[in-house]
Order: sequence, then C-alpha cells, then structure tokens
Amino acid sequence: MNRLLILSLAVVFAGIQVGTAGADELNRKPYGDGPGCGLGSQIFPDGSKTMLHQSMAATTNMSFSQTFAITTGSWGCTNNGKFVSIEHAAMFANLNFENLSQEMAQGGGEHLASLATLMGVPAEQQPEFFALTQEQYPSLMQAGKESPAAMIKTLDAVMVAHPALAKVSLVR
Amino acid sequence: MIRGGFRFDCRGPHSFVLFFAFLPFLIVLTTTVALADPPDSAYLSELIPRARSERLADAREWHALLHYRRNFLGGYTSEQDGPTFFLAPDGKTNPQAELEATLVKFFSDDLIGEAKQTVQCAFVARYHWLREKLAFDDRRLSPRICEKFNNWMDGLNPRSITLIFPSAFMNNPASMFGHSLFRVDRQDQTPQTRILAYTINFMAEVPDDEGIMFAVRGLTGGYQGLFSVIPYYLKVKEYRDIENRDIWEYRLNLSDAQVRRMLMHVWEMGNASFDYFFFRENCSYQLLPLLEVANPEWRLTDQFTWWTLPGDTVRLLTKQPGIVGDAVYRPARTTQIRRRYERLSSDERGVLGRVLREPALVRDPAFQQLPVERRALLLDIASDYLRYQSVTDEKQAETYKSRDREVLVARSELKVKSDDTPIEPFVTRPELGHRTSRIGVGAGYRQDEWFEEVSLRASYHDLLDPEPGYAPGYQIELLSGALRHYERAGQTRLERFTLANVMSLTPADALFLSPSWKVNIGMQTLRHNGCRYCSAGVANGGAGLTFETHLLKREYFFGFGELETTYSRAFEEKHRAGGGGTLGMMADLTDRWRLLASATYLRFPLGEKSDEVRWSVGQRYTLAKDAALRFEFSHRERRDNEALFTIHAYF
Repeated sequence: MNRLLILSLAVVFAGIQVGTAGADELNRKPYGDGPGCGLGSQIFPDGSKTMLHQSMAATTNMSFSQTFAITTGSWGCTNNGKFVSIEHAAMFANLNFENLSQEMAQGGGEHLASLATLMGVPAEQQPEFFALTQEQYPSLMQAGKESPAAMIKTLDAVMVAHPALAKVSLVR
Repeated sequence: MIRGGFRFDCRGPHSFVLFFAFLPFLIVLTTTVALADPPDSAYLSELIPRARSERLADAREWHALLHYRRNFLGGYTSEQDGPTFFLAPDGKTNPQAELEATLVKFFSDDLIGEAKQTVQCAFVARYHWLREKLAFDDRRLSPRICEKFNNWMDGLNPRSITLIFPSAFMNNPASMFGHSLFRVDRQDQTPQTRILAYTINFMAEVPDDEGIMFAVRGLTGGYQGLFSVIPYYLKVKEYRDIENRDIWEYRLNLSDAQVRRMLMHVWEMGNASFDYFFFRENCSYQLLPLLEVANPEWRLTDQFTWWTLPGDTVRLLTKQPGIVGDAVYRPARTTQIRRRYERLSSDERGVLGRVLREPALVRDPAFQQLPVERRALLLDIASDYLRYQSVTDEKQAETYKSRDREVLVARSELKVKSDDTPIEPFVTRPELGHRTSRIGVGAGYRQDEWFEEVSLRASYHDLLDPEPGYAPGYQIELLSGALRHYERAGQTRLERFTLANVMSLTPADALFLSPSWKVNIGMQTLRHNGCRYCSAGVANGGAGLTFETHLLKREYFFGFGELETTYSRAFEEKHRAGGGGTLGMMADLTDRWRLLASATYLRFPLGEKSDEVRWSVGQRYTLAKDAALRFEFSHRERRDNEALFTIHAYF
C-alpha cells in the first residue's frame, strides 16, 4: 500500500512539470516578489526544469519530499495577489486531481471548496463556482486529460465569462 | 516488558517526507542581516549571574525546550540526539552550561544549521523565553530579524492545533496501532478548507532494503527521527483514500500564546533529531514534548515509561480536563461506501452492481426512471467504489478509472446535492476504549482438578475484550502470559505465553471480498500421551473468510484454512506439523455480552502422526470501561476439558 501511495504521488508529481508550464503560460505578467517566488523557482532554485528529471531520477524520498513541502506552501513568498494563488491552485489541482474531478461532478466538496479558496473565490460565491464546475464538467475533464494546470486554465477562462465569478478570475 | 518491535505508523522504507524539508531550501529574497553589535561582554556578564541566581536552568520551561528528562543518576539527559541542537559541548547532559552557551550565542551573528540562521532565530523559542525571564535590554542585545521564521509562521497562519488520529490499519504492521500527528489550523480556515492546513509529523528515516536490520535498529534507536511539515490534504489522501482508515480529529484548547510557543519550538526542531525507538520514543511520543512546551504545567511524557501507543496518547489527552475540544470524524472511503450501501434497497443494489460493470447502463430507461436523488446516490457510491478498486487492483486500475470517468460525467448532469447524511463510524471513538495492558485473576477446573491463575498482557486487544474504541473482529495480543497453580498436582507453572496472537476478521460482502487471517506464536500447556501438563511451543497461521449477519444484534461467522506446527517433548520426535481448518462464530448478544465459539480440526502428517479436534466457547460481560468478566470452556484432545472464569482489569 505504501508503495502504491508513493507511486501515485510520484505520478502526480511527474505532472508538475506540465503544471509548471501551464502556470507559466497563465502567468503572463509575473506578480511575484522577485526571484525565488515562482513555482518553478521554488522547485528548482536555478529555474532549470531539467532538475525535475534529476530529482526524479534520484528517486530518493528525500529529494521528493524536499521539493514537495516547499512547493506546496508559500514559504518565502508573501501572497502578493494572484500570482501565488494561481500557482498554488495549479499545484493543489495536481496533487488532488481525482478528488477534484469527483467533487466537480457532484457539485461540491471540501477539495473543491479548497480549490475555490485558493483561486480567490469568496465563500458566498462558492455555490456558483460549484455549479459552474458541474456545468462545465466535460470540458474541464477534457482539459484535465492534458494536465491539471490546463484544467485550471480552462476553469479560469469559463469564470471570465460568468457574470458573478468574472471579477475573481485570475487572469485579469 | 515491551510491546515488540512494531513501528507505529511512522513510515519507513517508503516514507516520503523525512525531515524539515523546507528549512534548508528556503529561498530568502532579501537577507536582512542585523548589523553586528559591538560585543557587549559587560551585558553578558550581567545576564549569566542573573540566570544563575534565578535558577533558570532548573526551570520546567527550560527542560521542556531542551527535552531534558531525569536520568538514573539524578541528573538530566536530553532526548535530542542531533549535532546542531546543543550550543554547549556538554549540552545534552548539562542544562546550566547549555543555558549559558545559549546566552553567549544570542550576541552572535554567526549563521548556524542548514538554514543558515542566527542562534536567536534558529532557537527562537529559547530566545523568547529567556528574553522574557531576563528582561533583555534590546539596546544592549539587539533582537535579530528572523525573516525565514516569520515567513514560515505567516505561511502557517496559525489559529489552533488539532490532534489527528488515523485509526489502526491491520494490513501494515507499522500501522497496527494507529498513528498520531498534529494539524496547525489556519486563521482563515473553514470546515471546508481544513485540508489546506499543514501538519506536524514525527517519523523515522529508514533506508530501503533494511531487511532484518530494520527490527534490530528499530528497537535499539538505530534510526533518526525527524519532524516534517506537510499539507493535511496529502495525509487525508494517504489515510482516507489509499489506506481506507477512519480519521479522528480532536481540536486542542490552546491559547494563542501557547500555539505560538509550540510552533516556535517546532521551528527549533528543524535543527533537532532524535534516535527513534519504535516502542517508546516514536511518532506518537514525540508529539507530547511539543505540548509540554505549549504548557509546561502539563506532564505528559512522564506517563509513558515503556511504550507509547497512539491510542494511549489520545486517551491521555482526552483525560486531562480542558485540553481537548470537539472531535470531528472523517470516514475512510470504504466506510462511506458501506454506510451508503446500507441505504440502498435490494433493487438498487442490483442496479449498482450492473452499473459498476457497465457504466453505459446509466443511459438506459431502467436507470433513468429512478428518482434523481437515488440516481445521484447510486452514482456517488459507484464512483467511490470504482476509485477504491482502482487503488486496490493495480493491474485493472485503468479499466476502473475509465468507468469512473463515465460515471462522473453522468453524475455531473444531475444537478442535485450529494446525500449529506452524516456517515456513522463502525468503530466508536478511540478514547472510549479500554486501556491496553491487562491483568486477570481466574479460577477453573481442568482434567478433574481445580486451579487458580493470574494473567498479564502487555497489549493490546483480543476478540473478547470490550469492543468500544476498537474495530470488531480485530485482535492483537503481544506479550501475554498466565501463571497457574494446579491444586491436586500441587504444581505451579507458566500455563501459556503469547509472543504475538494477531487475528483480523473482516466481513466479506458483495462489495468487499476481504480475506480474514490469523497468526499465533506462543507457548501452551497440553496433555498428550503420558504427559499430563506439557509445555509446547506452537506456531499457527491461517487465512479465510468472515460473513456478518444481524439476526440478533451482530454476528460474525468465520472459516479458516490453517497450518500449525508444535514442538514439545510430549510428542514422538518432539514435534508434529500439519494443517486443517476452523469454523467459528462471534455474536454480540447485548452491548456488554459477547459470545465467541469455534471448532478446529487439524491433521498432522509430519513428526508424530496424529490428529486433533478442539472446540471452545467463550463469553465476556463488560462491567465497566476497564473491567470485564470472562467465562471460557475449551476441549482439546481426548478428555482434556477446561473451564475458566476470569475477571480482567485494564490499565
């Protein structure tokens, strides 16, 4: 069972590279606090994506955990608006994709509420956010096949078109 | 007496977070280095005598911060074993020297540890305590700015602490007693976003491929234990989704100042490591010193001399008045599936079975005509179950995942909320359970004579112990023995001794065809050939199935195929080995009264060729949480009959 857990987390982790690309793409204008605050730079201090492969190749638990605990937090960064939340949301979606896809279909749940919170959706608008993810479920899952970050991007795009959720959309 | 070399869930070969990962890799954007003071040796030479005269090194707070425990010689030894934690060379055993060295280093701007911090920042809890006790003059000892610590604290955004108890997990020896960890609840947290909070874990760092050395090192403190801080959603995924363990969450009533003090000390743990002892200084034990730092008046670690079980720490904390607030139950995925399945009619169960095999059936009129709430419930159960299958049956994982996707697309078309009736646990809260050590006094009649006996068990729970707090059908007995005096034979002997007797009766049903299994290694007294009371070493193991019914209250029927080997001078060639089977029943007649009956037939083709029929009937009546009566009748080969009446107390 443990092996299974590690495997599944490793698989999820492998998706981070894609996730990073997705977040970078989304993040047309970097709002970070400077070097060291981006998702990529948190994982790879020199910004090189090939380091992912190095740390994966080493497959020691330690290298895995090091990157892990850092990247899932906001260590060293203040939450300076949308930059941090979009990358934290992408990271969270990576690590919780299965629970999210289930809760989006059901129109609610704690993983989905947590994602909404990370994306800056206030509590009173979360029911609309839940309804939107349920409404858009097939297209979100289509994007999710590519990567969880692509799903976040698609989600953000449909939020832009939503009358109530547009103003919390992350892109603009 | 110890409870054996089991690891209490503190992940070993596959543990994926091994230490304070974020410390050394923290990226600091702007390093604000306070300008070095002109070393104010005059001020230092004022502080040290004051610390001495106020006997600060003898204070409970100082001992808690440095993890000092009284040693056999009447002095103090710290449980901390790493190289960077003490500032005095003899800091491990000299609280006074350590305190003075700490004061000296507070004046220094040298950067220490992997995270490269000043001593004031690396040992921020010590600094704040001494600053308050000695009323530091900030002009003469300037406070260093601890940007890394501040960022970390901002990231945690703490409001309160919750004790997390993932229940026992039978299929992994490391997890058989459960686990415990802390969650740092956030200021901005709602019940829906608890999973975003961080947890504080203590775990052993165990390399892969340890083999037999694993047990040796584990018992002798050969591994390093370290603290780690990772998000709770990863823990929920691990315990609830993958291992299918129920989780209990107990909010602790700590003041803001206590929470802050505790977390400052957690930060200090980034420069600490502890030799890991599987049975005492383990993942559960090491949480307690953190609470003692939060409130030095609590004396928690003193309560554990020989071993620390996660369930015992939960019981200890819930017993202290006022520490524990509300408890929240988070069901395992399998618990949720089983409880929701109970809500289905037999027709609906048939529909569910077909949908699980062929999700396209949800488009059929037969399914579509069901009320929308029932359709949603069926699809929710189906999705949970397919996810459970994709985790347990790795080879078919893709098949189950693709069926799950189909089910979820259908679910997304139903704009109704999921059934939010609370999921009731199958097992009551762990702190309601009996304590895990047991003493018994009994009397009985065997082979035409009377006897009296006393029995003692180190841990943990057997099938006839009072059930609250423990899973039904779950037995782990470690280090248990009975001393018996036979009246007519005038003989006092070690009647039986159990090294380990483990049994897992998991009811199989339409959804979960889980096997049951058992292993028993120990010594028994048997009658054979000419030997009236003969000691025998016995090893028995088997696998089988259990079915649950509710004819009266609850009944388990079980069957095992098993192998057994016995070593005793009573046998020709001193041993016999063979196999056979057991049929049995466990029934709860009332909440307090349980019946356990079984019959076994074994045939021994090896060693002394023989066969044996055994049967036994046992009953338990619970008197109180920590007291029970037991009456057992057992039959072994030929006329070896025994009746035994025992009163048990748990402590």
